[in-house]
Amino acid sequence: MAPQRTMTAGGWLTGAREGDRLLIEAGGAWTLEELVRLDAARQTLLVAAEADGAAARIDLAALDALDTAGAWLLHQLERNLESLGWRVELVGLRDGHAALLAEIGRLQAPPPAPAAEINPFVRVLANLGRNTLAAGAEAARLLSFYGQTVLTLARVLLRPSRLRLTSLTHHLEQTCVNALPVVGLISFLIGIVMAYQGADQLRRFGAEIFTVDLLAISALREIGILLTAVVVAGRSGSAFTAQIGMMKVNEEIDALRTLGLDPLEVLVLPRLLALMIALPLLAFFADIMALFGGGVMCAFVLDISPDQYINRLSEAIWPRTFWVGIVKAPVFAFVIAMVGCYEGLTVDGSAESVGRKTTLSVVVAIFLVIVCDAIFSIVFSSLGI
Amino acid sequence: MNRSREDHVVRVSGLRTRFGSQVVHDGLDLEVRRGEVFGIVGGSGAGKSVLLRCILGLTQPERGEIEVLGQQIRRLDERARSDLQARQGVLFQGGALFSSLTVAENIQTPLRERLRLPESLLRRLTGLKLELAGLPVDACHKYPAELSGGMRKRAGLARALALEPEILFLDEPTAGLDPIGAADFDRLIRGLQRSLGLTVVMVTHDLDSLVAICDRVAALVDHRALVGTLDELRNLDHPWLRAYFHGPRGRAAARPAAQGA
Repeated sequence: MAPQRTMTAGGWLTGAREGDRLLIEAGGAWTLEELVRLDAARQTLLVAAEADGAAARIDLAALDALDTAGAWLLHQLERNLESLGWRVELVGLRDGHAALLAEIGRLQAPPPAPAAEINPFVRVLANLGRNTLAAGAEAARLLSFYGQTVLTLARVLLRPSRLRLTSLTHHLEQTCVNALPVVGLISFLIGIVMAYQGADQLRRFGAEIFTVDLLAISALREIGILLTAVVVAGRSGSAFTAQIGMMKVNEEIDALRTLGLDPLEVLVLPRLLALMIALPLLAFFADIMALFGGGVMCAFVLDISPDQYINRLSEAIWPRTFWVGIVKAPVFAFVIAMVGCYEGLTVDGSAESVGRKTTLSVVVAIFLVIVCDAIFSIVFSSLGI
Repeated sequence: MNRSREDHVVRVSGLRTRFGSQVVHDGLDLEVRRGEVFGIVGGSGAGKSVLLRCILGLTQPERGEIEVLGQQIRRLDERARSDLQARQGVLFQGGALFSSLTVAENIQTPLRERLRLPESLLRRLTGLKLELAGLPVDACHKYPAELSGGMRKRAGLARALALEPEILFLDEPTAGLDPIGAADFDRLIRGLQRSLGLTVVMVTHDLDSLVAICDRVAALVDHRALVGTLDELRNLDHPWLRAYFHGPRGRAAARPAAQGA
């Protein structure tokens, strides 16, 4: 056993020339914690050893602890010396250490190559190309998913008994009833904001009463439905992606298929139909709350009494104003549900992918909702509505 | 470090755990000796995994003392606990690799967290661990999702070995592997245990593994642990042990061992 440096000293490595012999002594703890120091010592030793040697002796009698990292370093030292032309002899090796050293020596351990470095310019260009192609392919797949879903929907509508009512009701509760507070509150506040801002501007022309027109038309035609769609995309679209994505990770989707169940029919349709029912209802609720918020603001700030407000409302809007807004709701719902379910189904087995797809689903859904809204605006204006 | 106290690397005494009104362990005692392969068996719901989680400090028991490497795990502060954890490696059932990192990054995670190593040494060590765990070096840039179940376990083992642990905990290491892969894995564990001087604690269902590599076995029955060598347990008169060892699978697994002896 080595003297009293056993527990206190870390690993050490010394070398001395004695004629044409090289005497090396290794001792202490050759462990992972000591690796950096020992590796530095190894390199100094190798520089000192040069390439003219005959016999080298490594004395390991003072070695207290050896783990795989230490054994690897020792083995490395032995090989380095051999390649410099030394004949290496190990002495004082303990049995336990010998087994480990033999085991490590058996491994070839070529270091894994570092991930290839690519010229940053080429990488940016390659990424651009790859992302462009990926976006195109993604759009095509999304479109084909739409097609598949519509076909499944048609099939189920022909045989309504295949509709999963329990699931549909569950999702209705989740997406509609549970969304009421947040949608209501946001709409109410937006009603207040719009009334206040509108009144501020219109007061300059002495046309405060038209605040009601401004509020009613913008809330019913655009703001109510758009805001609701954005909230629902963030709330329900993301939930669809995460739910279906986790099922994908757990191989539940594959399990459904092997049971002869169509994931589109079991998972996607109930969510899609629930959202298409929920969004118009939510949009209607949002309209009411926005008008209510605006009315409260008018009563307090503009001195327009509730009676006057309601009279003005009935002059400012027709049923058509309302329908122009609400007719967009099922379309937006379709887009949000499709994107949410599609992204969920394309999750590829890792937790990170679920997170990425969920974010993506919200972004894409909101983007597509706004694109659809723009298309609606163009169509409505060319129809003169 | 006090070696004499550490002859028992894991010591559990009077362990009691329960979930709600369901008692899992009650008065469970066991000791794992340094350098042995210790198996934990038991029926489904007997609390094998809960016991493992208690020893790892992931689940707080209701009562009882758990000592790992001579330290009471309940009394440890954060720092001591993390130091202790560096001395034990864990292989979870599915590998529990970090899915957003490559295999190499998975193995390097504990190394980077605890040590400052230059990049070149880090790479060499990663290659070493991969090879120790029996993985080809070119697997290191793959993501866990791209690996088969067996390779995922090997990668998990490589990560568990990263910090040169003294104890290796394995949760059903051979579950989900084909018999050849399972036998390979058994050999791998045994080989590592011998050459690295590890203590191995494994939860298993696999009778073949028990016969092949376990020195001693704890059978979890009636909320307690019956500990002994395989032969001692085989001769105990307990209905569950009888069914376990003398059922058709138990007899089949025992045959080669009897022939080998």
